[in-house]
Amino acid sequence: MSGNAFATRVAVTVVALGAVTTAAGAADFDWKKFQGKTVTFLANNNPVSQALLTYKGDFEKLTGMTLKVDGYQEQQMRQRLVTVMNARSDEVDVFMTLPSREGEQFAAAGWYGDLSAMSKNQAAKDYDFAGLSQALLKAGTFGGKLTSMPMNIEGPILYYRTDIFKKCGIEKPATIKDVEAAAQKIKACDSTITPFVSRGLKPAVAYTFSNMLHNIGGSYMANGKSNLCSPKGKEALDTYIRLLRDYGPPGVVNYSFQQISALYRSGRAAMSFESSNELRTVMDGGERLKDTGLAPFPAGEAGLVPTAIGWGMAVSAFSKQQEPAWYFVQWATSPEVQKRMAAQGIAPPRPAVANDPDYRKWIDEQPVRKEWQAALDVLATKGSSEVGYPIVANPQSREFIGQAVQDLILKQKTLDQACADADKGLNELIAQK
Amino acid sequence: MVDAANTVTPDRQRAELAALSAPAVLFTLAMIAFPVIYTVWLGFHSFTSTGQQSFTGLGNYSKLIADNEFWHGLWVTLALYLLSLVLQLFLGIWLAMLLFNAKRLPGIVRSLFISPFMMPPVVAGLMWLVILDPSLGAANYILQAAGLPPSDWLASPIWVIPTIALIDTWQWAPYVALIVLGGLQSLPPSVYEAAQIDGASAFTTFRRITLPLLLPTIVTAVILRSVDLLRFFDIIYITTQGGPGNASNTLNIYGFRVGFEFFNIGYASALMLTLTAIVFGAVLAFNRLRGAVAW
Repeated sequence: MSGNAFATRVAVTVVALGAVTTAAGAADFDWKKFQGKTVTFLANNNPVSQALLTYKGDFEKLTGMTLKVDGYQEQQMRQRLVTVMNARSDEVDVFMTLPSREGEQFAAAGWYGDLSAMSKNQAAKDYDFAGLSQALLKAGTFGGKLTSMPMNIEGPILYYRTDIFKKCGIEKPATIKDVEAAAQKIKACDSTITPFVSRGLKPAVAYTFSNMLHNIGGSYMANGKSNLCSPKGKEALDTYIRLLRDYGPPGVVNYSFQQISALYRSGRAAMSFESSNELRTVMDGGERLKDTGLAPFPAGEAGLVPTAIGWGMAVSAFSKQQEPAWYFVQWATSPEVQKRMAAQGIAPPRPAVANDPDYRKWIDEQPVRKEWQAALDVLATKGSSEVGYPIVANPQSREFIGQAVQDLILKQKTLDQACADADKGLNELIAQK
Repeated sequence: MVDAANTVTPDRQRAELAALSAPAVLFTLAMIAFPVIYTVWLGFHSFTSTGQQSFTGLGNYSKLIADNEFWHGLWVTLALYLLSLVLQLFLGIWLAMLLFNAKRLPGIVRSLFISPFMMPPVVAGLMWLVILDPSLGAANYILQAAGLPPSDWLASPIWVIPTIALIDTWQWAPYVALIVLGGLQSLPPSVYEAAQIDGASAFTTFRRITLPLLLPTIVTAVILRSVDLLRFFDIIYITTQGGPGNASNTLNIYGFRVGFEFFNIGYASALMLTLTAIVFGAVLAFNRLRGAVAW
C-alpha cells in the first residue's frame, strides 16, 4: 500500500473515530467554546508543520475558530518571534519552538505561557496527556513550568549503503571505531564514493556532534565549567573531525542537512549521519529504498546515548487568548492528529501511536521503515536532548562547538588550541546571566 | 476691477501648498526618523540573552573597539567591497563598450546581458550554491573536464571571499554596464570626430576621451554599488552564513547574528550604526569626487 493510500485510510478512520470520540468527550469538553475566535500560529516551514497544516481545515471545522498561519523558514521564524516578543506584542498566539535549543533562553525571558494547568484541566478526554513522551515533556519543562507540547521526535541516525558494505566486505558498524574502520575500507575499496558525511556547517555541528560526545562518555559541562577540553571531549572532537576531514566530502564545512541528504540520495556517499527526519528526502525517487540500512549512531565507551529532540508547540506569554491558543495546541498534539502526521513520515512523540496497527502496517511495508522505527525507538528510550550547552545562551554555545570543529577540519588550529579557545569563550558564556 | 481680497499672492500660495503637503512630509519624516532614533536608543542599551535591558551609555561602542570579531568583520567587509567593486567596474565598462559598439545586437541578447541583476539575490545565492558544491556542482565538473584541479570554492577560507565577489560580479556587473551605457550614449559625437580627424587610435580615444568624459557616470555607479556592497548580506547568508569559520563574516552578517541569533539587540544596533556611518562616509567621499570630475 502506498503512503498516500495509507494516509487516506487513516484519515477516513480518524474522521470516523474523531466523530465518535468528540461526541463522547463533548459532555465535559466543548470544542466549540471559542467559536469565532482567530488564533495566530507562527510556524517554521519544515516537514512537521507542513504535515500538520494539511489538516488545518479540520481544526477550523471542529472548533469554529479561524487559524491564521504565519509561516517562515526556521531562522526567519525566530527573527520574527524575537521582534514580536521583545515588543511584548500579542500578535502571535502559538509558536513552534525547539526546547533543546532555545528553551532555557525563552523560559528565562518569560516568553512561554504556562501549559501545566491547561494540559491537565482543559483537555478533552481523548487527549491522553500521559501518552506523550515523558522525556520530551521533561525537555519542555523549565522551572517546573510546562512550556511546550511535543510535536514529533527526531534525532541523528546512521544511514548506510548495504550494497557498498557488501561489495567492500564490511559488517554493519557496532561501535564508533567500526565506523572509522568502515570508512577506511570504503576509501580503499571505491575511491569514487565519499565514505562518511555529516554536519560541518558551524551552527549545525552541535546536533550531530552531541551524539558523538555522549556516546564516547563526554559531557559539555562539569562543575559549572566547560568540559570540552576534558580527555573525552577531546576524543570526541578528534574522532568527529577525523571522520569528516579524512573520509568526508570536499567542502564539508558548509554541509548541513540539505547537502548531506543530496549527496547520500545521489549515491555518492556510503554513510550519512543525519536527522531521522530526512528519511522522506533521502528516499525520494526510490533509488536508496533498497540499498539503505538505518541504525542509531554506533556505541562508544558510554554505550548508546543518541540525541533525541522534538519540535514543540508553545503558547505565547503575551497572547491575550491563551485558552483558544491551547485548544489549537491540544488539537495539533492529540493522538488522532499525530497518527495522521505519522503517515506522512513525522515520527510521533507518542509510543501508542507508534504501535497503532495501521501505522505498523505502513512501517512493515519497507524494511528501511522498520529500521527507521527501530532507531527511533532507541532514541525515545535512551535519548538525550542535550544539544550544545545546557545554558541560557545555548544557541551561542553551538557557535563555539562549530568553530572548534571547523578550525580542526581546516587545520587552522591544533586540537589543544581549538578546544582551549572554545572553552574560554564558553566559560564566558556560562558566566553570563 | 480685480478683487484684492481674492488675489492669491505667491507667498500665500506657498503657505497653502506647505500646509497641504505638511502631513505627508511629516509622516515620511517620521517613518524615516523613527527606526533610526530607535536604533540609536537601542545602541545605548545592553540586552541579556533573556531580553533584560539596561542603559549602558557608550558601553556597546567601547566593547566594539575591543571586539576582535568586529575588526575582523570590518576587514572582511572592506576586502569583499574592494574586490567586488574593482571587478564590477572593469567588467561593467567592458560590457558597456561591447553593447555600445555592437549596435546591431538583437534586443533579446541585450536583455540577456543585463538579466542577472533582475534575479532575486536569494535565488542567485541558491543557484550558485548548487553550481559551486565541491562534490555535486557543475563548476568542479567543468574544471576537471578541462584537466584542472577542483576547488573547494565557498568552503575554502582562502577562496570564499573571491568566490562571493565573483557571484556578486556576475549579478551586478551588468547593472554597472547599463549605467555606463547610458553615459556613453550621452557623450558629444563632435569630440570623437575631432579625434578621428587627428588620427587618434581606438585605445587613445578610449583612454584620453571616453574614460575622462565617463568619469562622472562611473563615480555614480561607484556610489550606487558602494552602498550595496558595504551592506551586502543576502548572498553571503545564503551561501556561507559567514563561514567557513569566520572567513566571510562581514559586519552585516555579524550584526545580524548578534541581534537575531544571540538576541543582543543593543550591541547589534551599535554594530549596524557603525556600519551605517561607514556607508555614509563613503557616499560623502564619492560625492565630493563626483563634484571634482564633473564636466
